[in-house]
Amino acid sequence: MVTLTWLRGLVAHRRARILGTALGVAVGVALLASIGSFLSATNAKMTQRAIQRVPVDWQVEGRNGVSAARLLAQVRHQPGVERALPVSFAGASGFSARTGGSTQTTGAGRILGMPRGYAKAFPGEVRTLAGRGDGVALAQQTAANLHARPGSLVTLRPAHGRPVTVRVAGVVDLPEADSLFQQVGAPPGAQPQAPPDNVVLLPQRLFDRAAKGSPVTTQVHAAVSHALPASPSGAFDAIEGRARNLETRLAGSGLVGDNLGATLDKAREDALYAQILFLFLGVPGAVLAALVTATIASAGAARRRRDAALLRTRGASTRRLVGLALGETAAAGALGVAAGLAGALAIGAAAFHEASFGASTLAAVLWATGAALAGLLIAAAAITVPAWRDARSLTVAGQRREIGRRDRAPWWARYGVDFLCLAGSGLVYWQASRNGYKLVLAPEGVPQVSVNWYALLAPVLAWIGAGLLIYRIADLVLARGRAPLTRTLRPLAGELSPTVAATMGRQRPLLARSLALVALTAAFAASTAVFNSTYQQQAAVDALLTNGADVSVLESPGAQVGPQGAARLARVPGVKSVEPLQHRFAYVGADLQDLYGVRPPSIGSAGRLQDAWFAGGTARQLMRQLATRPDSVLVSAETVHDFQLNPGDLIRLRLQDGRTKRYRTVPFHYAGVANEFPTAPTDSFLVANAAYVAKATGSDAVGTFLVQTHGASPGTVAQRVRKVVGTGAQVTDVDHQRRIVGSNLTAVELSGLTKVELAFALVLAAASAGLALALGLHERRRTFAIAGALGARTRQLGAFVWCESAFVTAGGLLLGALSAAALSEMLVKVLTGVFDPPPDSVAVPGAYLAALLALTLASVVIAGATTLRALRRPAIEELRDL
Amino acid sequence: MSAGDPLVRCLGAGRTYGAGPTATVALQPTDCEVHDCARIAVVGPSGSGKSTLLHLLGGLDDPSVGTVQWPAIGPRSALRPGPVGMVFQGPSLLPPLTVLENVALPAVLAGTPDREARDEARLALETLGLSELADKLPEEISGGQAQRVAVARALVGEPRLLLADEPTGQLDHASATVLIATLLATAARTGAALVVATHDPAVAGQLHERWEVHSGRLDTGATAAAEEASAWSR
Repeated sequence: MVTLTWLRGLVAHRRARILGTALGVAVGVALLASIGSFLSATNAKMTQRAIQRVPVDWQVEGRNGVSAARLLAQVRHQPGVERALPVSFAGASGFSARTGGSTQTTGAGRILGMPRGYAKAFPGEVRTLAGRGDGVALAQQTAANLHARPGSLVTLRPAHGRPVTVRVAGVVDLPEADSLFQQVGAPPGAQPQAPPDNVVLLPQRLFDRAAKGSPVTTQVHAAVSHALPASPSGAFDAIEGRARNLETRLAGSGLVGDNLGATLDKAREDALYAQILFLFLGVPGAVLAALVTATIASAGAARRRRDAALLRTRGASTRRLVGLALGETAAAGALGVAAGLAGALAIGAAAFHEASFGASTLAAVLWATGAALAGLLIAAAAITVPAWRDARSLTVAGQRREIGRRDRAPWWARYGVDFLCLAGSGLVYWQASRNGYKLVLAPEGVPQVSVNWYALLAPVLAWIGAGLLIYRIADLVLARGRAPLTRTLRPLAGELSPTVAATMGRQRPLLARSLALVALTAAFAASTAVFNSTYQQQAAVDALLTNGADVSVLESPGAQVGPQGAARLARVPGVKSVEPLQHRFAYVGADLQDLYGVRPPSIGSAGRLQDAWFAGGTARQLMRQLATRPDSVLVSAETVHDFQLNPGDLIRLRLQDGRTKRYRTVPFHYAGVANEFPTAPTDSFLVANAAYVAKATGSDAVGTFLVQTHGASPGTVAQRVRKVVGTGAQVTDVDHQRRIVGSNLTAVELSGLTKVELAFALVLAAASAGLALALGLHERRRTFAIAGALGARTRQLGAFVWCESAFVTAGGLLLGALSAAALSEMLVKVLTGVFDPPPDSVAVPGAYLAALLALTLASVVIAGATTLRALRRPAIEELRDL
Repeated sequence: MSAGDPLVRCLGAGRTYGAGPTATVALQPTDCEVHDCARIAVVGPSGSGKSTLLHLLGGLDDPSVGTVQWPAIGPRSALRPGPVGMVFQGPSLLPPLTVLENVALPAVLAGTPDREARDEARLALETLGLSELADKLPEEISGGQAQRVAVARALVGEPRLLLADEPTGQLDHASATVLIATLLATAARTGAALVVATHDPAVAGQLHERWEVHSGRLDTGATAAAEEASAWSR
């Protein structure tokens, strides 16, 4: 009853306090519910997308002479297998075709025997480009090498047996050639096997005739049930288990190439990164929302304590006081939770077209419940806990005090917890980033994914240390810097500056807390924005790296186009420069690696090389070294480690001679490390001087022409180039590549996550600066009213309001910017696995930061102006109401 | 503005709070004047309208009916800080300022340089025997001390009209006597008019003129009282 009466009084007379606290709770609840639901949806989407990308779930290869029929029967009887068809593989020494009066011959290749109905059962594996795909079909590259088309006659030369001539029915693309020609049963971490250059697909009956006498490998391609757990990790575990179960049943007569498991393996790493991003970006947001709420609630703490003191003098017990505080908590909490959940629904509907953010109903309800509980806890921490603490530790007289002299610094300041946190953060950061750092470790084929949680300590400690240090600095300035503060405030406060500085000095816990909060919310918003912006920047770099240039022209493997081929491309309108890039294969010991031959003077600008791609020197320095010492070679860090190389060491590579087609040893000297290079794969590769390679191999054949554009879009220039090169070369442009990179799993989820994050960061920044300040000023309007009754003009009252606002805002933004700079660097470094490639430097999103600044300043101006407007009433009227 | 003009004049000035059936008439329309050197005790029971009258006289509140003028001082914007000093009934010290800073505040607001304002404040505190409280915060002193500090603050700048609302309400008899003596002495020294709202007959007895307020109705007594007071002060 008493609680209800008390609540009625609060609603009638302390409405701003209740609403302010409820608003803080609402922001926290909305943030948690939004991000939580989003995360659930993300996990399920990642699994779905991973599954959709796999055309053949399992490739079961027969062993120990098992017959195709028996293997097929065993696979079909395996629970969960929905479709299964046999595919046969045989080697060929080459293919030839006579077209246009000349005979074209290819090198070694593979012949596949395809069962009827394969294209329908596994539609993503074989894509028909021309003619029919269910008859004799040539892979696109083979067709290009043989100058063949549907209707052409092609002679197949099996590894063993007589040549067979067949009529081509179609030309096909094999988009998943890597997995189709995988080495089934290869140990985890083994080097992937390059798909063959030449492939011919035959109907099974024709294959049996052509491959007669040749060794034949049989695979059963299977599609399994996709009723799997929602999370990639759970789905991976389930599918791995099924694959192992089948291998056990086969008892050595077959091995399972688990394509679905391999894709889910990659997805679970992405999912883990998404969860870590949630921890990094979502949790600080929720903690900040709690801090904002606590600050808003603490704006009325003095009045709340005075009210409690009055109740205690009337005999209220601690239990009663806590009960009343719980009543206020319930009111503010319930209001905040309701508003927060409504906000989350609205955000989901507006930004993702689904109120549940795409999560299942159960997941959305669970997250909403969790967020609601968190909201109530935030409200309790902001209202009930201080009330309980005050009731237990303060006397009635103590509770009536508003200002209170503080003889001792807070315990954390006395023990230097802020410095310890920052030092700890620096230490962890240094250790983690020293070498070989990986936040998420998901070794291929290993069920367990491990996270380097230790590295996460660096940003966590940095956040805590920065927040406390900012509080310490603000407190120090207010306590010890009275004279300089007075001088600084003079332009705003004039003759009142000593009085205003004194007032601020006595209210330093309140002001230091507000300033620290503004700094933290600004740092949160800015660091999140920088992280997001850097990610976008690297996605663009990734696209450029993958494509090599604005437009890249990839010559067919058999083509012998020299650097002079650049001339005809340079004449295409919109082309700025054309850079030839050799592409060869070289053996480093037993490892076959890609080798790129470059022209050192021009590749730097033509390939837009970045320093971050190299180690042991800048891009410019290393290219200069390749120029001055042509036998220099850049290798991967892995190669340096595997072969224990030191700069200047001799490396003997085996390269194919262009004239004899035989491999020969060519001496090189190790000059530096290349981690990334245009068009290069993500694993090991080599970069050398093109002229030296050409001389050593007797061939200057170019693999790719890197085309930079000017005055026209890459897409348009690519179209023009296609007309020039015809079907002899593959032409791609960076815009198309960027779209592909942008649809990668992590990219899609990160953009959604940061979209929500950045919006909340703005709300938090505005709330911490404007709302907390407004409520703080609102609670002190008695002070302003007395000053008004003593004759203070609006301008003079404004001096108090604006000086405090300026101190909190300017100090908060300045220290927040410094914190953001450090935190952004740390965040980008710790989450480096998200970036591909790692960034050279962080990207600063000017527009967002300008919006953040404008919104913060606007909220502060509105808070100050609202306070001053309220003080226009006759002072005595104001005093009477208080 | 000429010699002999009253410091403040109420012409049918009254104050009603709220509107409609819940409206409360705090002060009926009233005519009164306060001249230089006046010593007026405003007496009456609690809630009779004494504070409302003082607020109207000090320009802290607007009358609902009638007008209030300050012929010898000027427009209302010129009243504070400066010509009118006010002692409020309740706690009126600014919590984040020390006693010295509180007392110096009206002078600072009037544009007096900080150092000079502090000197004036020290003098006022010394006059009331409060020098030792100078560096204390309002929450570190008693209610009675706070009331005396508020009086010291009202004296800073030597106002021409001193309005004190229950200045001795929280004081013991001895302290009340000292405080009223100080107010009277200061007023005598500066020629200021003194209007004190009080319940205390002893306090009222030390002032020459007695205005009574009952249920919002002001009875200013004989107009000769002002002349007597003027003669007394001379």
